[in-house]
Amino acid sequence: MPGLSFDNYQRNQFLAAKGFGTPRATSTGTTIVGCKFAGGVVIAADTRATAGSIVADKNCEKLHRLAPQIWCAGAGTAADTEMVTQLIASNLELHSLSQNRKPRVITALTMLKQHLFKYQGHLGAYLIVAGVDPTGAHLMSVQAHGSTDIGHYQSLGSGSLAAMAVLETHWKPNMTKEEAVQLCAQAIELGIWNDLGSGSNVDVCVMEVGKDAELYRNYKTPNVRESKTRSYKFPRGTTAVLKERSWQVVDEQVVATGEPMEVDA
Amino acid sequence: MNHDPYVWGRPDDAVYGAYNHAIANASSHGNVQEETSFPKMNSQQPIITGTSVNSIKFKDGVIVAADNMGSYGSLLRFNNIERIFKVGKETVVGVSGDISDFQQIQRLLDELEITEEIYDNDGGHNLRAPNVHEYLTRVLYNRRSKMDPLWNAVVVAGFNDDKTPFLRYVDLLGVTYGLSAICTGFGAHLAIPLLRQLVPDDKDYQNVTEEQAREAIINCMKVLFYRDARSSDKFTLVTLKQGQPPKFEKDLRCENQNWRFAKDLVGYGSTQL
Amino acid sequence: MNATVASEYSAERHSVPIEHRFNPYSDNGGTVLGIAGEDFAVLAGDTRQVVGYSINTRYEPRVFDVGDNIVMTANGFDADGAALIDRFRNSLKWYKFDHNGKRLSILSAARYIQHLLYGKRFFPYYVSTLIAGLDDEGRGAVYSYDPVGSYEREQCRAGGAAASLIMPFLDNQVNFKNQYVPGSDGKKKKELRYLSLEEVIQLVRDAFTSATERHIYVGDGLEILIVTKEGVRTEYFPLKRD
Repeated sequence: MPGLSFDNYQRNQFLAAKGFGTPRATSTGTTIVGCKFAGGVVIAADTRATAGSIVADKNCEKLHRLAPQIWCAGAGTAADTEMVTQLIASNLELHSLSQNRKPRVITALTMLKQHLFKYQGHLGAYLIVAGVDPTGAHLMSVQAHGSTDIGHYQSLGSGSLAAMAVLETHWKPNMTKEEAVQLCAQAIELGIWNDLGSGSNVDVCVMEVGKDAELYRNYKTPNVRESKTRSYKFPRGTTAVLKERSWQVVDEQVVATGEPMEVDA
Repeated sequence: MNHDPYVWGRPDDAVYGAYNHAIANASSHGNVQEETSFPKMNSQQPIITGTSVNSIKFKDGVIVAADNMGSYGSLLRFNNIERIFKVGKETVVGVSGDISDFQQIQRLLDELEITEEIYDNDGGHNLRAPNVHEYLTRVLYNRRSKMDPLWNAVVVAGFNDDKTPFLRYVDLLGVTYGLSAICTGFGAHLAIPLLRQLVPDDKDYQNVTEEQAREAIINCMKVLFYRDARSSDKFTLVTLKQGQPPKFEKDLRCENQNWRFAKDLVGYGSTQL
Repeated sequence: MNATVASEYSAERHSVPIEHRFNPYSDNGGTVLGIAGEDFAVLAGDTRQVVGYSINTRYEPRVFDVGDNIVMTANGFDADGAALIDRFRNSLKWYKFDHNGKRLSILSAARYIQHLLYGKRFFPYYVSTLIAGLDDEGRGAVYSYDPVGSYEREQCRAGGAAASLIMPFLDNQVNFKNQYVPGSDGKKKKELRYLSLEEVIQLVRDAFTSATERHIYVGDGLEILIVTKEGVRTEYFPLKRD
């Protein structure tokens, strides 16, 4: 049966009433942004994944490919952004194959919003969708409940306010590619410094009309760890061997039976 | 005994009956009947509120700005509230949060000014910003400890005894911190990242001119007006400079707003109408 | 196919109303760490103050020299921490007024702080408290407390946000837990020895740079207060700011 199963809803309510809470999916604090420029669009993301107040991954990838020239940046529940993106990417590819046309950003957006709306916000995916297609460059965002938004610039995630402050201050119409990349990277960097949910590096993806999309993984790495002051190498034998068991592994003798195969005629 | 891991070891209700909350006036934990006869209610939420106060130090002073709006939930209730006021000769206090509690704070500080500055009983020692801040911290912390908080976040700006600029924060919990750029409320998320570009480290304010600081703060007010739904574009800006009385500039407006992008944005997805 | 049990979860009403009441506490993050040596003690803390996902400030001292060669920190809810340290400093002042400037031993300071904490047993100071100094024999001493005053003298202790990350590291590197003499087949534990001040500072720095990597509430700066018979001195090291 496709879709989410609500079979255990009543049981879970009962358990919660008894004091056994339901497990929470890990939500990633994030800064993601997108910005249009003359002839294309750029998106960027930080690379920190958190589980509560612990950093789960210091260099994760938040930029996902929906189609060769349509990429999206994801915030929210890590698993949801990943799975929803993969599903739509597959469907977009099938759609493109059956129609024999390049996929369009609006198609991706519509598929995403219809999917997310169906799940009424239970899929915690917040995405900035961007790309170029035969109709030009596009930048849009989808919220978990299925609402969408368009704009010349977008920011989402826990660091969206820090990023938006930069975008509101420095954005101008018809920027060059370089200006847009700089702006997005700076917006992400402010998220990295000022929002605890965001950190580590900056990833950037540039999509320009008539060109292949370019992914700049770790475009900026302002958070390289300094080396430790001590060596923590233990002398061999520091950890006790409590029990030892060994097996004699014998190579099985291969006994040739029957006639060797005729190789040469 | 109850074996539920969350209340393990306590008497089982099935065996001993439910705990009698009347004993020693223990809290009722959601018993509606008892809660309606609650003995005393203190303020549990702010009513009319003011949004962010934004401030930054510069080479020889401090700038503080706050808009003039008083919100009643999402209603624009007042547009003439002055949330920055002077205490003593060279100190200003900017208050966000509940407006009635702000007025109470104002009255307390007026009283403080009278006892400390008019009835001079400490041999000419001036009431300075650190003193005002310490006083406010005690007031707010004591009120939170009585579970009757003054629902505010306060920025105190002025000068230390050694004439260096002073800027420090205190909120309804009594939590305090000092920094070269301080914003309360929404400004802590939107404006602080911008101001920190100017003063990445605490001591960096020494390299910031008044013009730079002023420009940064005015830009913050504009960004906040764009993005904080409880803000207005009419604001008061106060400049403190060593050896001069605080300069209040009232009824300033966010200039150079840009809404032209709107004409290009149609719908919320596909561009067809 | 599983039949879905009909449940009116959309129309469900919760038996308890949603509470919106004043919460007198907040978590201001930060981590502290104390290690006692043979004739010195250190108490270190990061300088970041946070609330939620925001950084309040990158430099707010967390560890204080409270006088009489005692350093103290109370980490958790900053307003309570400041109030506790203020009260202790004030009491120490009055102790000196009342007893002709007598020095307060760390043993007595430790017991007194227990009373300060337990005095608010039913509205606790939400902090993990540590003090460090030298005992009457001149050996390094670290005392650690829970929020309501249970305390203990220890060789080392981490407190605050990343305590659970740092403490196992300390157990292994200071008290040599889980380390055996090579070749003894786990029969002979690695012998305990006092660490030098230099070694201790290195451990503290590595503990904090590691905690900064993996805990979002830790970072910006590391301030180490070192107590020797010569007095208290401070060292500062920057930490990552993301």
